[in-house]
Amino acid sequence: MNILTPRPNPIVAALYTLRDLDVDVAVLHGPSGCGFRAARLLEEDGMKVVTTSMSEEDLIFGASDKLIEVLKEVDDLFSPNLIGVVGSCVSMIIGENVKKAIIDSGLSDKAFFIEIHGCMGANTRGAIETLKAARDFGLIDEREFKRQEKMLLLATEVELNRGMAKLKYTRPSRGADLKTVAEYIINQLKENKKIAVILNAKKETAYLFADIPLAINLASKKYGGSVINIANLSTDIGLSRIRRYAKDIINDFESNGISIDYISGGVDEYPISGKKAIEYLENKEFDLLVAVGIPQALPTIKKDSIAVTNGPREVHPLEDAGYKYVTVEIASHSTVMGTREIVLSELGEVIRNIAGT
Amino acid sequence: MKQIAIYGKGGIGKSSISSNLSVNLASNGLEVLLVGCDPKSDSAINLFGGRRIDTVLDLYKKGVTDPDKLVFEGFNGVKAVEVGGPAAGVGCAGRGILVALKTLNKDYYLEKGFDVVIYDVPGDVVCGGFAGPAREGYADEIYIVTSGEYLSIYAANNIVKGLFNLNVKLGGIIGNMRGITNEVEKIELYAKEIDSSLIGAIERNHKIHESEIEGKTVLEKYPNDPLNLKFKDIGSKILQNKKAKVPTPTVDEKIRSILGGVY
Ligand SMILES: Nc1ncnc2c1ncn2[C@@H]1O[C@H](COP(=O)(O)OP(=O)(O)OP(=O)(O)O)[C@@H](O)[C@H]1O
Ligand code: SF4
Ligand SMILES: [Mg+2]
Repeated sequence: MNILTPRPNPIVAALYTLRDLDVDVAVLHGPSGCGFRAARLLEEDGMKVVTTSMSEEDLIFGASDKLIEVLKEVDDLFSPNLIGVVGSCVSMIIGENVKKAIIDSGLSDKAFFIEIHGCMGANTRGAIETLKAARDFGLIDEREFKRQEKMLLLATEVELNRGMAKLKYTRPSRGADLKTVAEYIINQLKENKKIAVILNAKKETAYLFADIPLAINLASKKYGGSVINIANLSTDIGLSRIRRYAKDIINDFESNGISIDYISGGVDEYPISGKKAIEYLENKEFDLLVAVGIPQALPTIKKDSIAVTNGPREVHPLEDAGYKYVTVEIASHSTVMGTREIVLSELGEVIRNIAGT
Repeated sequence: MKQIAIYGKGGIGKSSISSNLSVNLASNGLEVLLVGCDPKSDSAINLFGGRRIDTVLDLYKKGVTDPDKLVFEGFNGVKAVEVGGPAAGVGCAGRGILVALKTLNKDYYLEKGFDVVIYDVPGDVVCGGFAGPAREGYADEIYIVTSGEYLSIYAANNIVKGLFNLNVKLGGIIGNMRGITNEVEKIELYAKEIDSSLIGAIERNHKIHESEIEGKTVLEKYPNDPLNLKFKDIGSKILQNKKAKVPTPTVDEKIRSILGGVY
């Protein structure tokens, strides 16, 4: 099926993965507009992103010299330890010999090439190619590569089976009104009900989605009811940067007197941790399920449930899956860049406003 | 103004025919522009005593885009342009052709009052860029150069497939002989098969490459040679041709059976 909805981008996934690997500079070998939005966000997260600004002329004559020049410039300007060179459709269609350019720049001890062909194909492909390049460059071992590759392939499957790649065209939607959802949650607590909250977030977006369990727990402290906290916040899984996210969030929870009942996996394990979370709940009594982050990756259950997702195009598939309310945290990527603590979410804010907490 | 593009198998003689055709049309008093679309830039070389002119893309790189500065005057007043392109193995020659054609700006030809524009296209149409001269607004019709040999006709048929897909008109076939048995008949039968015709044939003639060694066309080195009349004849047939139409490609087996039938 040819899916009409534009989908997440492999170039962007490659850039984000370079960031996860604590690469200092990403060089996009492509036209100046390529990857623009992601580049700007990632700069806020501490990774420099530069472009070789390929022109029409470079497309015709090739731009290896330009790439060599840019690599040397980047080395002078930023004195990086690690540089990732990412291809674009423009440089890859014309078969630029990036590996040779890296060697010719004299920076082959710190620069490595991620061979992706622009915006084509699943975004997870971009991440996998980046990890492959990182493995070959000695940044990660084969085991870690295999583990992440498996996660990414599963993530593609989730998108295909339960996300926006499920249908030919998926209308974007903001979903349910936040006030209605917040009131519903608070009323459950007032009625002394038990809410199971599953944080099943993808990487740095956990900083944002963690705000929702935080707000629910604080509301519960005020109104009663109880909360089962489940989160994919393992501090022993994944790259050091990823583990740091989990540590930061757990620290924030602890300083608010919140403990997690079950750790369902690492923050890069969202394609499988959702399933584990549901398994954990199997024999537990509860009245309402609130799933936040990537609820698409959760098996659906026959229970009163609310989903908070990361993109407007995920709303309809989740509604179809039977959630009572679905809402979106629109700013899920932009607000978390560079943070070391839980950031305010929209739903969390509305809950706090109503609860006066 | 009539614009034509010459296609055909690599090495079959497109550039020789284009340049010889150009100079002979010019001696009939016509304003001729020869546009070489090959990155190896050898279409117009025989109009300039073997000297290479600056290419559109080299000039474009230097910021020169004024069409007047991209066109050079060669033997017999023929104006010539070489598109140029990247060195072998880098960049994208197809994109180069498209950009060069755009830089040349087709309205310019009209303003300058050219009677004939001839695009000499590289042998292997490997990507969409090489079909640029065949697209709307450039060549009015295409001429395919072929010998009677199987692989040459096979290549011609692939080009015909492209013309069919792009809905582009074929003016006819120009034979460039290799001296095989019943060669004219073979080409004629193939031409008929694709709903076209053989508009003229050039014999294999050592004067073509003898002239070429000196960087000349036959007209310059051997002005009185009857071969020139042949080129003039093909030229006037092209100018008068009103029968160009979208050809219908055939299948490989058919080509083999045509060629096999007339040993
Ligand atoms: N009728 C002919 N008699 C003798 N030699 C010929 C004849 N036609 C072409 N040649 C010679 O064949 C060689 C190839 O010709 P030419 O370069 O014109 O082919 P082409 O089709 O333009 O090739 P390409 O596909 O590489 O552009 C040249 O050296 C040319 O002199
Ligand atoms: S289409 Fe090509 S140039 Fe544009 S963003 Fe994607 S890879 Fe970059
Ligand atoms: Mg040629």
